[in-house]
Amino acid sequence: MKTTIQEQDGNMVAYLEGSLDTSTAPETEKAMRPLYECEGKNIIFDCADLTYISSAGLRIFLDVLKTAEGKGGHVYIKNVTDAVRTIFTITGFSNIFEFK
Amino acid sequence: MTEAVHQFVGDAEQSDDLTMMAIQYIRQQSDVRLRKSIVLPNDTQEVPRLNDFVAEVCEAVGLDSLVTMQVKLAIEEAVVNVMKYAYPQGTRGDVTVEAVSNDVRLKFTIIDSGKPFDPTVLPEVDTTLSAKDRRIGGLGIHIVRQFMDSINYERNGNLNILTIRKNLTIINKQ
Repeated sequence: MKTTIQEQDGNMVAYLEGSLDTSTAPETEKAMRPLYECEGKNIIFDCADLTYISSAGLRIFLDVLKTAEGKGGHVYIKNVTDAVRTIFTITGFSNIFEFK
Repeated sequence: MTEAVHQFVGDAEQSDDLTMMAIQYIRQQSDVRLRKSIVLPNDTQEVPRLNDFVAEVCEAVGLDSLVTMQVKLAIEEAVVNVMKYAYPQGTRGDVTVEAVSNDVRLKFTIIDSGKPFDPTVLPEVDTTLSAKDRRIGGLGIHIVRQFMDSINYERNGNLNILTIRKNLTIINKQ
């Protein structure tokens, strides 16, 4: 699992690559720390290369979303694959995130 | 049973034949196409090994990549639950995952010797709540229910036995 954070056009973009399962969730959460501290910026999760996400990964997404919303920011999910989208759908996460 | 018949007949004259046949049903194991198992310690760093195991099973059964991912996820959620909560913190314990399939069904049996815990009685999560009201707890079992066809819990002696099934005929018809 590889997580890269970049600032782009005033947004914070997190590129997620690989399998976000229970074993890789702790390192991913650590890598996402800058997202918790970005005041007022919008956050984009680029999931083009995210092959898998378990509830441990969804928990991180939800934490980032709650923190961002508390500061008036938006969180978007971009380029999600059809397979990973089924996970967002059945967990109802597709209702709480904005997709690009 | 012969005695009961004699008692019922009593002194009445026999007017027809009586036949008694006993049948013992021995379940045929010949239709089992695959049987594979793995034993893992209660360490979530072992999840990649678990996921590789489930992926191999799904490939052997002929599932496509989408269903494979869904089955992998369901089994990860169920097993991680055992790894995290079955044994007292800091205590080593094992979890066994056995996969058996025939032509119509893929069955995973997850066994641990931790404290009794029945995840099937957990309440259904409300997936319609807004972000601020959403809690992550209970999501694992929800995923299992959504992606698999049945889930059963049994406590046998000191073992927790969770059986999760995926119906293969429905997938093939889709």
